[in-house]
Amino acid sequence: MAINVNTVYQTVLLILNKEQRGYMTPVEFNKIGGQVQLEIFEKYAEDMNQQLRVSQVDLDYSDRQLNIDEKLSIFKTSDTSTYSTSGFILPSPYTGLSSASQLFAGVNLQLIYALTGNALTLANQNAISSVFVADVELTPAQYSITGGNLVLVAQPAVNAEIRVNFYAKQFYRLGTVIYTAGAMPIQELERVGTSELYHLLSSNLTKPTTTYPVYTYINSFLNVYPTTIQSGISVNYLRKPIDPIWNFTGNAQYVFAPATSNNFELHISEQTKLVLKILLYAGVVIRDPEIIQIAAAQVQQEETNKKS
Amino acid sequence: MPRPDGGLITETNRQYYAGAQQFFSANAGSGQTFTSTFDTDLVFGSSDPANSQFGLNNFKVFTSATALTWVELTPVSSQTTGTTNGAGSAAGASNVIIAVANVNVIPGMVISNAAGTVIYGTVTTVTNTTTFACNITLAAGIPAAATALLFKSAQPWSELDNIVTIASYLPASTYIKFQLSETALQQNYGNYEYTRLTDVIDNFLIAYVGAGKILPSVKRSDVIFHAKRGLQEFSYDTLRSIRSQEVTVNQVNKAIIPQDYVNYVRLSWTDSFGVQHTIFPANTLTTDPFSSPVQDNLGVPTQDNFDSNLTGTSQTEAAWAASDPRRISGAFENSGENPELSNQNSLYQLSLGQRYGLNPETSQNNGWFTINEREGVFSFSSDLQSKTLIIEYISDGNAYDLDARIPKMAEDALYSHIAHGILSTMANTPEYIVQRYKRERSAKLRNAKIRLSNIKLDQIVQVMRGQSKWIKY
Repeated sequence: MAINVNTVYQTVLLILNKEQRGYMTPVEFNKIGGQVQLEIFEKYAEDMNQQLRVSQVDLDYSDRQLNIDEKLSIFKTSDTSTYSTSGFILPSPYTGLSSASQLFAGVNLQLIYALTGNALTLANQNAISSVFVADVELTPAQYSITGGNLVLVAQPAVNAEIRVNFYAKQFYRLGTVIYTAGAMPIQELERVGTSELYHLLSSNLTKPTTTYPVYTYINSFLNVYPTTIQSGISVNYLRKPIDPIWNFTGNAQYVFAPATSNNFELHISEQTKLVLKILLYAGVVIRDPEIIQIAAAQVQQEETNKKS
Repeated sequence: MPRPDGGLITETNRQYYAGAQQFFSANAGSGQTFTSTFDTDLVFGSSDPANSQFGLNNFKVFTSATALTWVELTPVSSQTTGTTNGAGSAAGASNVIIAVANVNVIPGMVISNAAGTVIYGTVTTVTNTTTFACNITLAAGIPAAATALLFKSAQPWSELDNIVTIASYLPASTYIKFQLSETALQQNYGNYEYTRLTDVIDNFLIAYVGAGKILPSVKRSDVIFHAKRGLQEFSYDTLRSIRSQEVTVNQVNKAIIPQDYVNYVRLSWTDSFGVQHTIFPANTLTTDPFSSPVQDNLGVPTQDNFDSNLTGTSQTEAAWAASDPRRISGAFENSGENPELSNQNSLYQLSLGQRYGLNPETSQNNGWFTINEREGVFSFSSDLQSKTLIIEYISDGNAYDLDARIPKMAEDALYSHIAHGILSTMANTPEYIVQRYKRERSAKLRNAKIRLSNIKLDQIVQVMRGQSKWIKY
């Protein structure tokens, strides 16, 4: 589903290099790529809000709400929230360790490889992983990360290098908060503001109960009411997209290194917009107003088409 | 359909009629969990009948090897025995080794002598079927001789959020049965007539709220508020939520107002045949004054040293309590005690209520009541002292969890009530929308009233047959 970072980079370079307009280094591309990915990602929520107010056609592939939801679904995730004296802690807070990589080279042929160091730390945090065997990325069905080990489904070829990359899931935006207690019906918590909380707590009809609990969201903590709830809270949230990396080997000439690179996580349908927006920023970098103008016009036209 | 098949009924016939749910455990082991699917939430206090909290339970757990003969799972039924290998165990953390393997010993079991009179300690970990790491609390420890031991669980099973965990060891192929208590079973009977308020709230949020609907977004607490208020309003005049209580009028002619009382429907006393006699309010005769301040010689209310008004006994109440109601009603004999018509043969009894010019409101001998708001009691005329009283009253449907349900006949009316309640309080809602929902609410409520009024054709026919009788004037 992801957009290949090399395809995007090569396309950008191709357009930029036309008529010898300029060049974009991998470092510039990586920075701008991350910026553009976040920009497109952040806009989904606004687009969705806009589309929710418009009636949709119930036809395959043309429901705009569903299309945006499909793009967002890549980043939807769910985790349990742990209780502390200050409230429930949001899952996947940024701890400073955003990525880790472990290489298994010259190892005996086997299916299970023990993870160590930062890779193990992130594996235990249920981080996003990618595995490359001889520079070829495995599909999620071809491996699993279990109990601090990388478990392959099939034996790798003799002397094949195995690289496992981990990217920490970073909390981006809070979705629904769920309360589960044994075999009781699962309940969604209602988010309330601090000012209305006091009225709710003192109201005899709307006082929060374990059937209808509420929470306040303050300083990355979820304060759940009634306060007897001290476990069973899970959180649906959007995680932050992983920054794209176009990595290379060699000094004289950049040679794309897929195993240490990272693709754009956006939905594959965003490839055109991604290239155009990177070109827009590239125009700023190489100080070419014509590129900026063309890219901006293209992006604008695409936006208009999508929302008209 | 004896089994739920995806419809609204989620209980099997056995769960509903017999209050029993059966499980089968294919594998042997302790700490197995079983999930209740009763509509009634399980309530757990203790699994030990000797424990004072056991009375809180609304169910029992039974086990059986055949599903024919059941044994209640208690500390006594799950206790097991063993004899030490003679090594003895010192006080503190110590191993207890028994001579013959026993799979029934589990962590947490209390170890005592065979008679259960001397407690040695508790099992902390089961190393294997003969060796148990224990905490021996008896200073003398377990003697170094072949000692017969009794292992007993304090709580062989427990329950949390409708999941029952059986701590005791269950052999392979054991049947387990949850049996609801009689009270819990009775509360569940006839439940299909109702929809729980929680379901109404969830259904409303699903069907009425969302993008492209009349309510794009709404706070759940608003829906809860209007649902509960709706239930209150409906309880007053639409629902058949008449509650009743049988009490005895006390020695000072009073009965306490029920805890969930909102208004009365009828107060009556029952005679030896169980026939009800309606007691009428003494509106035009007397009252219970809310306050009776003590006055000085000039008629000014007096206060105590805390500046609170001094209050005295109501003279009106005292006079009413001492009065003879027959002197008001005109009845010469309290014939209501003798309901058999064959005994009413005296002239006075036959002419009761037939004398010209009497006020029907006061010419009756069923007694009177007033509501004493100051004391929170019903007060009765003196002829009702020690009588069996039936208080029929309405509540507001929010007093107890079990009340939080609405007859299915009125479910749609409640949805409309909530929708109208929310729309009418939302800013920028076009007035025609509010009016539309107001009319819809009104129409659906009228439908609900008609449905719940329980008019049956057979009964109407029966009443109408009475029209053909000759009535002499």
